[in-house]
Amino acid sequence: MKNPEQAIDQVLAGLGKVEASPGMKRRILANLEESALVSAKGAPRRVWQMVWLGMTVASILIAVAVVHQPGKTSTKVPRHEVVSTPPSANGPGTRVQQASHLPVEKILPARGARPAQTVRRISAGDAALLAEMRAPSHPAPEVPLTQEEKLLLRAVRTGDPQVIAMLNPEERARQEAASEAEFQEFVEQSNKEDQQSDQTTD
Amino acid sequence: MASIAGGGLNLIPTESAQPEIDLAVLVKSYSRLLFRVAHSVLRSRTEAEDVVQDTFLRVVELRRSLNAIRDMRVWLVRIAWNLALDRRRRLRPEQIDESFAESLVAAGMPADEMICEAQRMTAVLREMERLPKAERHVLLLSAVEELGTAAMAEVLGRSESAVRALLFRARIRLRERLEERGGER
Repeated sequence: MKNPEQAIDQVLAGLGKVEASPGMKRRILANLEESALVSAKGAPRRVWQMVWLGMTVASILIAVAVVHQPGKTSTKVPRHEVVSTPPSANGPGTRVQQASHLPVEKILPARGARPAQTVRRISAGDAALLAEMRAPSHPAPEVPLTQEEKLLLRAVRTGDPQVIAMLNPEERARQEAASEAEFQEFVEQSNKEDQQSDQTTD
Repeated sequence: MASIAGGGLNLIPTESAQPEIDLAVLVKSYSRLLFRVAHSVLRSRTEAEDVVQDTFLRVVELRRSLNAIRDMRVWLVRIAWNLALDRRRRLRPEQIDESFAESLVAAGMPADEMICEAQRMTAVLREMERLPKAERHVLLLSAVEELGTAAMAEVLGRSESAVRALLFRARIRLRERLEERGGER
C-alpha cells in the first residue's frame, strides 16, 4: 500500500471527527425520562411484593413455632401405650382403646406409615372422637312420642267396636261376605217380584 | 433517586450531603464524547447511539455509588467503552467497516478512485482489527480527540507511559503490515 501512514491518519481522523445524528441528546433524554417514570411506577409494586413476602415468611415462622411448642414435643410414651394395630373389619386403620383408658397424650401411627416406627401424636379429646367415629354403628333407640303424636293416636283410636272389628281381616271378610249375600238376596227377590207383576198384567 | 424536575432528570445520591446530579447536564456535556468513543469501536452510528443511551441508563442504575466517583468523565467513558466492546462481539465487523470506509472517501472524486480509496480505508480498518488487543484499544482511543494520554490510561487501567508505548508500537505494526500488504499486490 502506498503511503500507509497517511491512510492510518485518515482513518483515525475520520473516527475522531464523526458526529452523532441530530437529535441524539433529545432522544436519549426522552428515553431516560420514560425509563425513570417506569421505574417510579414499579417502585410501589416492589414495596407491596416485599410486604407480602414478609407476611408469608412471618406466617410460616409462626406456624413452625406453634407446631414445635415445648409442651407438645418431648413426651415419649412407652411402647405399650402406643396404639397401632393392623387394619380390622371395623375400620380402615386402627382400633382405638376406650377414651377413658387413654393417657393424656397418645401416639397413633400415621396413615400409610409403618405402625411401630413412625407415629403421630394425638390428644385425649381427639382420641375419644376417633373412638366414637370408628365404633360399629347400631340402630337408634326408640324415641318417646311427642305430644302431637299422642293426640293423633288418640284421635285415630276412637274405641268404636265396629271400627276395631274392621281392623281384624277375618271379621272384615266375614262381614263383607254377609253384605254380599244380602245384596244378592235382595236382587233375586226384586227379580221375582217383577216377574210376578208381569204375569198378572198379561 | 432519579426524578424529573423542571424538565431535567436529577440524580440524588443516597447520602444527600452532595448536591444533586442533573442527568440532562450529563447528557449534554458528555454524549458527544461518549458517542465518539463508542463509534471508534463499533463504526456504526446507530449502534454507538445505543451505547450512549445504555451508558446513561447505567448511570441511573448506579446512582447510589455516584458519590464515590472521582472523575465523572473518565467513569462515563469507561462504561461506554466496555459496553461498546461487548456490543462489538455480537456484530459482523466486515460489513460495518466497509460502509464506514465508504463514508471516509471524499465525495468529489471519480468513481474508480473512490472505490480504490474505500478499499484502502477498509484494509486499514481490517489490519487495525488484527492488531494485538492492547495496541488496538490504545489506537482506537487515540482517535478520539477529546481524550488525552492521561484519560486513556485511566480508561484502560494502564500507566501513561505504557499507553504511549502501546500507541507507538501499534502504529509501527500497523504501518508494517499495510506495507507488506501493498507489497503482496
